[in-house]
Amino acid sequence: MIKFKKVSKTYKNGTHALYNINLNIEQGEFVYIIGKTGSGKSTLIKLLDGEEIPSSGTVSVFGTNVGKLKNRQVPLYRRNIGVVFQDYRLLPKKTVFENIAYAMEVVDKPKNEIRARVKEVLKLVGLTDKAQTFPKQISGGQQQRVAIARAIANKPKILIADEPTGNLDPEMSNEIISLFERINKEEGTTVLIVTHDLQTVKNFPKRTIQIDSGHIVRDLPNGLKDEIIPSNIEADDYFDTTAKLYLANAIKEDNKNV
Amino acid sequence: MFRRFFRHIKEGFIGVGRHFGMAFSSSASVTIALFLVGLFLVLTYNLNVIAKDIEQSISLSALVDYDITSQTTIDNLKKEILNIEGVKEVDFRSKDDEFTFYVELYPDVKEFNEYYRDRNPFHDAFLVSVDDGTLLQDVKLKIEKINGIDSVHDGGSNTYLLINVLQKVRIFGGILVLALTVLAIYLIYNTISITIVARDTEIWIMKNVGAKNGYIRAPFLVEGIIIGILGSIIPIAAIIAIYLYTYKISSGTLLGVFTLVEPTPFLVYLGLALLGISIVVGFLGSYLSVSKLLRNKR
Ligand SMILES: Nc1ncnc2c1ncn2[C@@H]1O[C@H](COP(=O)(O)OP(=O)(O)O)[C@@H](O)[C@H]1O
Ligand SMILES: [Mg+2]
Repeated sequence: MIKFKKVSKTYKNGTHALYNINLNIEQGEFVYIIGKTGSGKSTLIKLLDGEEIPSSGTVSVFGTNVGKLKNRQVPLYRRNIGVVFQDYRLLPKKTVFENIAYAMEVVDKPKNEIRARVKEVLKLVGLTDKAQTFPKQISGGQQQRVAIARAIANKPKILIADEPTGNLDPEMSNEIISLFERINKEEGTTVLIVTHDLQTVKNFPKRTIQIDSGHIVRDLPNGLKDEIIPSNIEADDYFDTTAKLYLANAIKEDNKNV
Repeated sequence: MFRRFFRHIKEGFIGVGRHFGMAFSSSASVTIALFLVGLFLVLTYNLNVIAKDIEQSISLSALVDYDITSQTTIDNLKKEILNIEGVKEVDFRSKDDEFTFYVELYPDVKEFNEYYRDRNPFHDAFLVSVDDGTLLQDVKLKIEKINGIDSVHDGGSNTYLLINVLQKVRIFGGILVLALTVLAIYLIYNTISITIVARDTEIWIMKNVGAKNGYIRAPFLVEGIIIGILGSIIPIAAIIAIYLYTYKISSGTLLGVFTLVEPTPFLVYLGLALLGISIVVGFLGSYLSVSKLLRNKR
């Protein structure tokens, strides 16, 4: 469903963010994208939702060549994708209910459908009792749940989260990841989580793609479940060490493919 | 459809309300710009009318050769002059008319003058008026070339100078009106740009859930138009008041010679024009600003 074919991305200022990325993700999958800061994770996401255009290669989603979309075609395409970021980006003057409803109003959903769906997603994220509160009045983890509820309100086929637990403590992070798991199961949404939070990736093992310096260095179907990870290692050190082990190999593979 | 329309209008008003300080200061600067636009519109329009008046009152006198006496030749000459481009009217004055006019001018020496009636030194002449003062020189040259015309006289170089100055003033006024309008557009553009930054999150959400560009743009357009209209109220009122007052105390004439344009319907049109300009200014200012944003980020 999501297909990257020999995708490279060089930004206008000359930064090479991604090299020769080949990747397939099927409908209903749950995938982590890991790697240290600056490795190219966010760029991958931006290519996926059409915000950036690949310098070469093709990104296709549901058979649509995303890089070839005209500017005016992007909005309709984007209705297939929900996004969540580290900073929750809620509207402070709207209640939790209104924040979620807003995402449906701006795409012209009828009022009664909005009311029903907002109730439904509020229940799914476990915030039914917070519907009439304002973002300031709830915890960070709860705010992120509102952001997630908003992202899935329009029933996107793909849900993307870029560092969704970056501002949260481990306990809340676990809550958020299990919420993504539930959405993945109950709504059949394909979930892509960009993270460098090693702990969550270990706690909820799923297919894991590791990026380093713009290359895919590993694609592990079972995630880090069977990996031996030193208990006191910093995430970035772990990414660095493992990347060194696999990067040379990945580049060799790339060159074979070119 | 209607619900959506009213939603945009509402959002536009909310936008103005939310950034009231900014909207207000922007409206205020638009007020000044529009006031100047209005002032120059009034001036330029009046100058236009005055210039037209003066240009049309300036005439050439074309003197006919002494040896032409037949009425048909004179009629033909008149036709020929009328055919010249830019000629509005041609009046024939016989040399007798001219002589009588001259004699009447000096009643004291009337008898002395009458002695010359048989040796009339005047020419038969055509009084030629033109459509547009800028054509005066051209028409003069063309008439001079006609066979049977002795010479052509105008009011001298001062006439041309006056026409020239009026022309320049009109062009200058027009350019100023345009420049001030662009300035007003820029002022609104700036305000909306700042408002957009303040509404970063909303736009981010709209973009991410796939709201159409037109939908994202609409409330800002409404907001720009509101700022424009708010900015036009004071200038419209002030200029109407100033004009009415000036018209009243001057009894419709400036410096004893220049007639001012009648307040009605002139002021009605002027008010509508300023309102129209303010709407266009508000629309364009915000359109440019939002378009820049929508272009920069897919
Ligand atoms: N808009 C941009 N213009 C130029 N360089 C960029 C831009 N966005 C990201 N980069 C660069 O591309 C590389 C990958 O960035 P990014 O995809 O954000 O990495 P990550 O999300 O893994 O931290 C980095 O070197 C970053 O500085
Ligand atoms: Mg990133």
